Formats: sequence, C-alpha cells, structure tokens
Amino acid sequence: MFPQLGNMPIHLVSITLLPIMWRLLAEVRDWKTPPMLLRLIATAFAIAALVVTYGGLLGRRAAVSMLVLMLSLKLLETFRIRDARIVVSLSLFLCATQFLFSQGVLMIIYITACLLSALIALMYLHRKEAYEHVGEAPASGHNLFTQVAFGVRLMALALPIGLALFLLFPRWASPLWGLPEDALDARSGLSDSMTPGSIQSLFMDDSPAFRVTFEGLLPSHSELYWRGPIFWDFNGHSWQASYLNLNLIANNKPDPEQAPFRYEVQMEPTEQRWLFALDYPALTPSGTHLTVDYQLFSTRPITRLREYVMASDPDFLDSPQLGQTLRRAALELPAGFNPRTAEMMADWRKEAIRDADIVQRALMYFNQEQFHYTLNPPLLSNHTVDEFLFETRQGFCEHYASAFTVMMRMAGIPARVVTGYQGGWYNEIGAYMLVRQSDAHAWSEVWVRGSGWTRIDPTAAVAPDRVEQGAVDSLAQRRHMLDFEWLRNMRNSFDLFQHGWNNWVVAFGSDNQSRLFTNFGLDFLDSTKLVTALIAIILIISAVMFMLAPLLLRVRSSHKQDPLLRLWQKFIRKLKKAGFISHPSMGPMELAANASCQLEYKDDGISRIAELYMLCRYSKNTGNLVELAALINGFQPQPQLRGT
Amino acid sequence: MATVATKKLRKPVTDMIVSRIRQRVLAKRGPMTPPFELEYRHIFVLPTSFGWGFGFMLVFMTLGGLNFNNNMALILVFLLATIAQLTTLIAYRNLSGLKIDNIYSEPVFCGEAAHFYVLVSNQNERQRFAVQAGFKPPQDCTDFKLNSSESFHLKHPTLNRGWLEMPSFRLETRFPLGLFKAWSWVFPQSRCLVYPSPAKKAPPLPKTGHGQAGQAAKGDGDQVHGLRKYQPGDSIRRVAWRASARHDELYSLEMEAPQEEACELDWDLLHGVDVETRLSILTAWVVAADHKQLSYSLKLPGEQVPSDNGINHRSKCLELLALYLL
Repeated sequence: MFPQLGNMPIHLVSITLLPIMWRLLAEVRDWKTPPMLLRLIATAFAIAALVVTYGGLLGRRAAVSMLVLMLSLKLLETFRIRDARIVVSLSLFLCATQFLFSQGVLMIIYITACLLSALIALMYLHRKEAYEHVGEAPASGHNLFTQVAFGVRLMALALPIGLALFLLFPRWASPLWGLPEDALDARSGLSDSMTPGSIQSLFMDDSPAFRVTFEGLLPSHSELYWRGPIFWDFNGHSWQASYLNLNLIANNKPDPEQAPFRYEVQMEPTEQRWLFALDYPALTPSGTHLTVDYQLFSTRPITRLREYVMASDPDFLDSPQLGQTLRRAALELPAGFNPRTAEMMADWRKEAIRDADIVQRALMYFNQEQFHYTLNPPLLSNHTVDEFLFETRQGFCEHYASAFTVMMRMAGIPARVVTGYQGGWYNEIGAYMLVRQSDAHAWSEVWVRGSGWTRIDPTAAVAPDRVEQGAVDSLAQRRHMLDFEWLRNMRNSFDLFQHGWNNWVVAFGSDNQSRLFTNFGLDFLDSTKLVTALIAIILIISAVMFMLAPLLLRVRSSHKQDPLLRLWQKFIRKLKKAGFISHPSMGPMELAANASCQLEYKDDGISRIAELYMLCRYSKNTGNLVELAALINGFQPQPQLRGT
Repeated sequence: MATVATKKLRKPVTDMIVSRIRQRVLAKRGPMTPPFELEYRHIFVLPTSFGWGFGFMLVFMTLGGLNFNNNMALILVFLLATIAQLTTLIAYRNLSGLKIDNIYSEPVFCGEAAHFYVLVSNQNERQRFAVQAGFKPPQDCTDFKLNSSESFHLKHPTLNRGWLEMPSFRLETRFPLGLFKAWSWVFPQSRCLVYPSPAKKAPPLPKTGHGQAGQAAKGDGDQVHGLRKYQPGDSIRRVAWRASARHDELYSLEMEAPQEEACELDWDLLHGVDVETRLSILTAWVVAADHKQLSYSLKLPGEQVPSDNGINHRSKCLELLALYLL
C-alpha cells in the first residue's frame, strides 16, 4: 500500500493516512465505530478529492488510488472478523496492482513482506474466529515467531508449484480488453511537448529508461543518440508535435541488411507511444510505424515492459528532397517573438553563402561566447530565445536545442527539435547498455540540401563533455544530497540484477512460453491445446491419486503402529474370522477367557497368546515377540462344536 | 397458489434426496460412532464463504494479470492460489488421525442444557490447532499438543423428559487461514437422561412420614451411631483409633444425623392434574427432600422406591420419573 502513496499527490496521502491513524488510536483507546453518517461523508469527501485530482475515477492510477483510499476508510468500520478479512484480501489485491507500476526487485521484496504479514493476519483472524465461542484463545505455541515461521513455510512450500503454474499457465498473446487509455497520465519520461525545464526534471531521475543489448558492433559514445519525440511546432514558449509529423508515414527507410547496428531494446513502460532507437531506425516492430521524421511510433501506449529488436543505419540519407508542406512546417515561427535574434539572423544570412556556413557560425557562437551548461538556469519570460542568447546565457540542453532551432528557422533553414536520450552506461558484466531517464537530451536537426536532415547538437558546442561522458558526469555540481559517484556506480551494478530479473521473469510472455515449450519439443502446443493438455494432466493425476490414496495412506498408517499392536490386531482379526467378536473394552485376559469359551484351539492356546502379549506389552523382556509372532501366525481357531 | 403447493412439495422431496445421498455417502465411510479414528474418508473439505470470496478475487486478479501481462502480479496470484490449495491439505491434516475416544454426559433437568463431553485424543506427533466441535454452529474449540487428549464440551437444549439421544455433531477446523473448512461428522451413540423439570410452584412436601420417623440416615452427621470395619474412602478423621488398636484392625465411626421426619411422595397425593404436571411436582419434591436430607419414598402407579436417601436414591427416583410411561 505504501508505495502507492508515493504515486499519489500529497493531499490524497493525508486523506489516506487519517483513517489509519484513527484506527490505530481506536485500538489503543477502545473507540467504537463512528456513526454511519460520518462514514458516508468521509467516503463522499474522499471520492470528491479523487475526482478533483484525477479528473475522474477511470484509469489505472486513479483506480488504484481509489482502492487505497477506500481500503483506509474501510478501517473506520473494521471491528468484525469479516471486515478484517475483507481488508486483508483487498490489501493483497492492492499488492498485485502495485506491480502495474513497478516490477523491480525492491518492490518484490516489499510485496513478499506484505504477503507474509497478510498470511499472519489471516492466521490470527482465523484463530480469533475459532475461539469466538470459547473466549480468549490460548497462547500456547502461537507466538509471533511461530506464526512467521509458519507463514514462511507456507510460502516456501507454495513457491515451486506457483512457479510451475507461472511457467505453464496459458498466456494471451493480446490483451482481452483494451488497456485503459488513461495511460497518458503523468509518468516520468519524455513527453509529447518540450518546455524549458521539462528535460531538466528528468535529469534528476535515475530510474532506467531502457536497456539495450547489442549484437556485434558497439556504437561509439558520440553515436548514441536515441531518437524519441520530434517537435515541429513552436508557440514562442514550448515545442509541440504537429499533426503532420505524427501522421505522415516515412516513404523509405534504411535497408535493415545494410544497418551496422543491430540490437535488442528492453524498454520500461512510459505510458507514451514512442519507442527509442538510434538514428536511423531500419525496422518497425509489430504494432509500430515510422513517421516521416523517423519517429518510431507505437499504436498503443507502452504500459508494460516492451522488448523489440532494432537495426539502425546512422549513414542513412534522410529526405534528400523536402516537400513544400514539410518545408513550410519546418520554417514556421510565431510572429512577434524574439526580435533581436531575428535581427542577428538576418545579418548572418546576408553574410553567408551557404546554409552550412550559418550552422557553423551558430555553433561557433555558442562555443565562443560566454555560454554555460547548467542545471539551474534562470527563468525566462516572454522572448525566451532573445533573453537566453543575449542575457542569461545559461541553459540546459533543451534551451540550446530550442534556441538553435529558432535561429535556424529565422535564417531560413528548415529545422526541428529532437528529444530522446544521449549516451548510456555500458554494463561490462551483463554486456548490455543501460539508458537512464537522466540521459534525456534534446538536440536539433537541420535540413541542408545534399545531406538532407542533419543532426546538430548545440549542447555539444557548449559542453563537449555532455556527449562524451554523459549528462551527469559533465556537470560539476551535485544534483542532490545523495548524488555520489560511488552510489551511482553501485546502482549501476545493481541494475544488472534488475536486468536479469526483467529478462527472465518480467518479460516472460506467451512468446517466451512457446519458446520454452519448443526447447522441450512441445512446440505444437498453442494456448488452446495447452489448456486442454493441462486439464487432461490434472484430471489424470487426480484420478491416479484418487485410486492410490487409500493404498498410500493405509500403508503409511500401518507402518507407524508398533509391531506388537499389529500382531495383536492380526490375532483379533483371526478371532473375528472364526466368529468371535471382541469388544473394544475387553482387556487381553478377558478377551482370552471369552474367546476360549467360544472357540476351539489346542489346549489353552488362546490364553497363552494373551499372556505372551501382556508380557511383551508390560514387561521389558521383548524376546517373546518372536514367539508371539509365531504363535499368532500359526493361530487357526475352530468354532466350538459343543453347542452354543 | 400452484407455486406455493409445489414449493411445499419440493421441499420434502429435495430434503429426501439430500438425506438419501448423505446416507449413501456416509454408509461407505465405515463406522463413525466412537471410538473411531478420523481417516481420509471421513473428512470433507470445502471452501468457507470467505474462501469463495478469496477465490473469486484470485480469478479476478488472474484475469487482470493476464490482461496486462504483468508477470509479477501473476506470480503473486499463483502463489496465493497455491497457498490456498495447501491450506486444504493442512486443514485435512489438522483433523485426520484424531481419535474420538468416548462421550459422556450427566443427567439434567428438562429445560436445562444437556452437557456432553467428547473426549478426543491426538495420537500423532504433530500439533493441531483450533479444532472446533459443535452440533450446528461450533460450540467449543481447542488446540492439541503432541500425543495429548482434550475434551470438547457440547451443549444441547432439552425439550422433553426421557432419553435425549445425542444428535450427530461435527468436528471441524478452518486452520490455518480460514479459507477452507475441513469437517467430519460423528454419529455418537450416547444419550443423556433428562429428568422432568421440577415444578416451580410445587405444593409443600407432604409430611406423611409414619413409621419412618426416627430412623437415622447413616453417613454424615454429628452423633456417633456405632462402629464398623474401615472401608477405603472413609475419612481418616472418622477412624476409631482406640477400638482399632484393640482389635488390630481399622474401625471407623458410623455417624448419624438426627432425622426430623421421612416423607412419602405418592402419585396419588396429586389429584386433578395431568401426568406431566404430576411428574414435575414429584420431581420438585424429590429435589426438595433430597436438599433437606430427608428420607423419602416414591410411589408411582406400578412402581415403587422404598424410603431412603442419598445421591443414588435421588438418581433412582429421578430416573424413574424421567422414564415414566416412556
């Protein structure tokens, strides 16, 4: 429950915590349930708060928050065993929903602890219920330690079967019902617009964005530009995607056979629709398409771990010809903004012969004037580019990309802003590359006749280290209090486990399942056949068990008895066969006396056996056991002939 | 109208079918009258209502997990399902191997609850937790240590005098999580004697103690009545040490309580009331006379108990009253 609190806004958190605190106090002070009306008002208030916060109750985040809130409100009236059980069940449900947000190793440890405490709670509730009619339950053998041990044992016993079920349970290749379209609620990662500061906030976030395993050639650090959302429309303040670039499909794409880089990407859920690839993506994984500016665009939001194979060709010539519509879109600027920049660019235009000269001059300008690459740039007001270029001169990558693109457009060179990630941390042991949210970056592309769209990274002109070493290392200042290099390194190593976990557990789906079956030569099994086969196997096993169970159980129980008792029971069976029915209350002597009246056997064979039995039972001389066995085995009583 | 009629009809029919099936099933299970040991064929396991709810939630969670292809959620669900499944086995093991040794009860007056004590022993090297017993709702609950025996205390209301056959009862357990209950029916062949309920407004004791007056009740009292040979159970304070020393044998003093009077409780003393009321009044008299430590005799049509007193006499009289004309 508590990780969800981290996902919720602060006022909802306080609404959630209040009932919990009340309930704790109630336990101590022995308060009673608050009146119905108060509870209703509290519920209505909570729902209202949710609606106000999330703009509705639909959607994953809102739904889970609602579950959390309702659960905590339920505590207000949880004074009976039934209610407590509902709370525990719902908590388990909540545990499962938490995996929608994170499937990391830490989360798993936390949920395991939750599961354990839920089991203990259920045990406690059961005990309380069982002893309800009697009063207090005896505490004997039921302290917390034994309960924890019992819970752990239960979990350990259940784990193998649970995992087997996990491997064998048929999966759906596609979702049964549509994934909620709330997917677009706030989530860290690049978004569909860029304002100064948006990437900067990502910079604080060390959570992984995606992991890449390269096949063969490893790109150099300066080639690691992971292409993401691309923006064409500028309104003077923020950059946005235009209708055109999201909906036009690329005419041609690089030949995958020629692409030097081949790799597999495992992408964390972003709840956005962009997939990331190096320039220029040559493949379109299923459910995606390439837009005209080579964004890899998925039809559905990425709401869970997504794996795709990709090939990239950095030498691909993007749009040798630029159509009129696109050209106009790539030159458009809002009127009345940034007059000083416009003036400067007009001068440059006059002095330059080729477009490439202007690009070079702009980069030189950034490099040689007093520009700073910093995490805390001053705020910009109306004429953002003017203020940035001539006054503050401090900015983060998005300031540079934005200013450069505006400059190019003013000089009549088609330009656009590209956001994505730059760099990545190569894990030697795991042989994969980890790209974190803090690697988020923004750069520009300009269209130059002859070379098509060309990537220009103005940040590299200001802070070449940014490209060579990555964003975090290129800054002298620490991002926050706990931002130490050793901690970062440790976290990077820890990511190896997370990656393995993702590979083996989280990403396990119907594909992996069928691959697994193929390994065992069961590749003919599809979902339907699998279900049938499973049911058949379960039926067969249960049928066999059903037939064998009596045998097994009997064998075990007779093994447990002591040999003497077994012998005696054999004796009694033989007596019964001969027609003498013994009563359980009879002792051996009485039995012998009664039996010898009814049955004929040797002289006093029956009482001899009884005597021996008693000797064996009550004296320590066990040597008689063999003799007794012989006697009983040879025992053949006859019904007495002389009348009854 | 028709529906009412069919409903009325259907109820007995379904009841009949259910009881038939039950008899069939139970017949296969061998003896279930004590003493017997609970074995696999005696024990039923089904989910509790909470168990059903929990299962429903698990199905819901599975669907969600499959739909989002959220593997961790699926693992959690499968783990929970397996744990739930395991608890069936644990619940079964919690009952299996218990042995119902004996059942005893003591006579009660009609209207009081009949108390049955069920002795159950755990013959295995494992503990058992929260085993419940009861007629319909569980009434008593206990834990078993290794190789121990415990008794369950069951109560049943009494409505009529006479023998109360102990109805079948259940041993059940919901250990450990309350998701499943395992239970076993026991068909005890024990009964409890129910005395008639003593009349609340009984007439005063008849004082017709002719011929009996002056006879002393032996046993407890203050006056020494005589000597007799020591019997095990005699109080050590009553031993006549001097006499014993003389005879090389232990003698104890026989004491007597001075008896005020004796009374004759006669059926014919009560005219004009019905049988049950008469029995009820007689019961009240017996109780009162016993309480006052009087000697009393009881006379019913065709039955007679000579004058005496003491606990055995009381039981004898009350039993006679309980079973009169039954």
